[in-house]
Amino acid sequence: MAFISSGYRPEKPMEGRISDIGPHKYDSYFPPVIAENFGKWLYHEILEPGVLMHVAEGGAKVYTVRVAGTRTMSITHIREVCDIADKYCNGFVRWTTRSNIEFMTDSEETLAALKADLATRKFDGGSFKFPLGGTGAGVSNMIHTQGWVHCHTPATDASGPVKCVMDAVFDDFQNMRLPAPVRISLACCINMCGAVHCSDIGVVGIHRKPPMIDHEWADQLCEIPLAVAACPTAAVRPTKVEHDGKKVNTIAVKADRCMYCGNCYTMCPAMPIADAEGDGVIIMVGGKVSNRISKPKFSKVVVGYIPNEPPRWPSLTKTIKHILDVYATDAQKYERLGDWAERIGWQAFFEKTGLQFTHHLIDDFRDPAYYTWRQSTQFTF
Amino acid sequence: MAEKDVILEFLASKSAVKSKFYFKDFSDLFPEKGPREVKKVLTQLVKDEVLEFWSSGSTTMYGLKGAGKQSHTEGED
Amino acid sequence: MAKHATPMLDELEKGPWPSFVSDIKQEAAHRAANPNGLDYQIPAEAPEDLLGVLELSYEEKETHWKHGGIVGVFGYGGGVIGRYCDQPEKFPGVAHFHTVRVAQPAGKYYSTKFLRDLCDLWDLRGSGITNMHGSTGDIVLLGTQTPQLEELFYELTHKMNVDLGGSGSNLRTPAACLGQSRCEYACYNTQDMCYQLTMDYQDELHRPAFPYKFKFKFDGCPNGCVCAMARSDFAVVGTWKDDIKIDQEQVKAYAAGELKPNAGAHAGRDWGKFDLQAEVVDRCPGHCMKWDGAKLSIDTKHCVRCMHCINTMPRALHIGDERGASILVGAKAPVVDGAQMGSLLIPFIDCSAPYDDVKEVIEKIWDWWMEEGKNRERVGETMKRLSFQKLLEVTDTEAAPYHIVQPRTNPYIFFKEEEVPGGWERDIKQFRERHQR
Repeated sequence: MAFISSGYRPEKPMEGRISDIGPHKYDSYFPPVIAENFGKWLYHEILEPGVLMHVAEGGAKVYTVRVAGTRTMSITHIREVCDIADKYCNGFVRWTTRSNIEFMTDSEETLAALKADLATRKFDGGSFKFPLGGTGAGVSNMIHTQGWVHCHTPATDASGPVKCVMDAVFDDFQNMRLPAPVRISLACCINMCGAVHCSDIGVVGIHRKPPMIDHEWADQLCEIPLAVAACPTAAVRPTKVEHDGKKVNTIAVKADRCMYCGNCYTMCPAMPIADAEGDGVIIMVGGKVSNRISKPKFSKVVVGYIPNEPPRWPSLTKTIKHILDVYATDAQKYERLGDWAERIGWQAFFEKTGLQFTHHLIDDFRDPAYYTWRQSTQFTF
Repeated sequence: MAEKDVILEFLASKSAVKSKFYFKDFSDLFPEKGPREVKKVLTQLVKDEVLEFWSSGSTTMYGLKGAGKQSHTEGED
Repeated sequence: MAKHATPMLDELEKGPWPSFVSDIKQEAAHRAANPNGLDYQIPAEAPEDLLGVLELSYEEKETHWKHGGIVGVFGYGGGVIGRYCDQPEKFPGVAHFHTVRVAQPAGKYYSTKFLRDLCDLWDLRGSGITNMHGSTGDIVLLGTQTPQLEELFYELTHKMNVDLGGSGSNLRTPAACLGQSRCEYACYNTQDMCYQLTMDYQDELHRPAFPYKFKFKFDGCPNGCVCAMARSDFAVVGTWKDDIKIDQEQVKAYAAGELKPNAGAHAGRDWGKFDLQAEVVDRCPGHCMKWDGAKLSIDTKHCVRCMHCINTMPRALHIGDERGASILVGAKAPVVDGAQMGSLLIPFIDCSAPYDDVKEVIEKIWDWWMEEGKNRERVGETMKRLSFQKLLEVTDTEAAPYHIVQPRTNPYIFFKEEEVPGGWERDIKQFRERHQR
């Protein structure tokens, strides 16, 4: 490989440097019908799952075809998205917050041709490249984090379990039979860089063992005070131990204070936290962000541990599919999953879903815990 | 003492223990100055290649360029 | 022929949902074929080795990545996340595999020209694998080596006119819903506010001086499609003050079953005939609607703008004309003390460019948090530690009932000395003249 210079000169980093220019302006890439009707939209309709029609004041219409995207995506795939957008959408395309891809056109004819084209595109392995869906009262695409593909503290993979869950609920991605939209999300550790804490169904990777300590290497690899300062619960302290007949500076972890966040491992590679037996996922349900009818709310933990079962995570997918089906059968129209659980009560939620209630599901973390205990004689036998 | 020297002296005094510091550790050195003023000094020191950033991804710290244990283990120096 | 056997990952090629494994495999094949004759600047086998190391994780159920402290390009304190593989000999193509965050346009509309240029750049100087997009909203380029970082930045800024996104204790890349570009519910121009504030606060985005991360998100209405009030330290959520606009003829058309309720969102099941009274009026959280069979009326005084009636009958009901936004502060994910939702600070703020009113609130919050916030403390945690009253004080906001769900249930009110007549200095001698010891 011969190094190809962009023109940058490392010995003079500030020479000709351009910085602080930010993103491209949002309206640089509007399709013409979007640019012309900006701020003039009057109403919309979901024509079929994955197809939206927005109508502007003057009668202009834009049809949107929403297809699933995978968050982890190759440039070969993006180039194929571009080919489609060039062929049908004047070279414009957009992504949604939930990693879906939207193709827009103002022509009904183009819409039909686009849909037909998208339906034929499959990966060599057999899965759809661009399945339509993710609209209305169905399951939209999952937001997720990096997992074993690229993160150093995950307790599970992200792209893999997401693929498995979406395969399991694929019908509900392409249908709108549910009482309300269901947003499923996955964060591969409790730090939740994907912020799944307000999802109808949230999957969160958890570790269950405190980090190991590589005493031989701790002082050579790490600045111990940084590892100590990184701990949110003050479970990490500096110490000295005998190693190979020598006193070495190292770290001690107070196991019963550790919340398994992995922050110390970020600062100190001599404190690995991953563990095949310890790691797994929990399921949280009933969160929402919309202010529609009820207020936004947090998701609650209803399954305290499911082991990692690569490659297809069968226990996880089965449980999620089951929760979804019970909800679909029992909830009233417009009730989000959390609204349903609150109306019937969490006691009934566990009865109807058959999920096992364990002590792990009772909050015991600091002040907010108390407010989740039952301070009433109202309950059912 | 110039602000720059206050910072360098602070870093030298701590060099046996740690090499990276939060922004707040520096603003505490200048109780009479607001954070925005302290930031200007630090930014200039980064530009002058005296200091460099270190990040955990979620947080960021400042340290003397090339100091610390981790950069060696990563084979980046 | 694949470099590594991946029998477990191959299982993820099955099923209807798009397979990221199939996708990485097609990128591996593309790089092996190298149709454009590129002199790849990082190993051509990067996607192969990414599959290899992932397969190893599937076998062992443990990650093989280590964090690195690399932050960004020269002068920037964010935008790059350092990653190293802990099995570099087995997987040399991903031994060093850093992430680059690229600023996305607000609302994520792209031209294929821009995307193709980005793909060409990432083909030459990276792994060919991306995230479209990261959780915060950036375009994420997944996997390159340190010598390519400045080269990438040079080409991004000089040839593509685009910058890096944020990471670390910075203002993170702000994000907005698609707003007025294609939504009738948008109460302000979310994309423009996002863009202008991103441009105005470039220094805060690239050069960390905050106690921790800080996120802006802009939702056009209370439906909250970018989840601003759950995910951002500073959430701007569109709202309005005056009457919901009602087209009574269209209301009747919905009631008569001539129009699809909920814009067709429930079309996948037979829910029976649309019942305006039961489905809209009775579900209104403000109990402010009346339907007499011919006319729908709304008592605006009691409307909480939840969007349900508008969502249900989008052709009949429209957001009001006196538009602006509410500001909610302090949302965050659970670590450490539990998740926090944004708390309402400003009920209504003008949202016309250049957004000076909004910026004034932001800067007051920053000034306070930069002084008082502890290391690794989100502003929501500073609020909890120092009180909501303190936030009101530093933002010059008067306390009002809309700030709370209920008043306090304990009597421990911290009065300020100036609030109590005569202050706290009292004369013990005078007291003793009235009371024996």
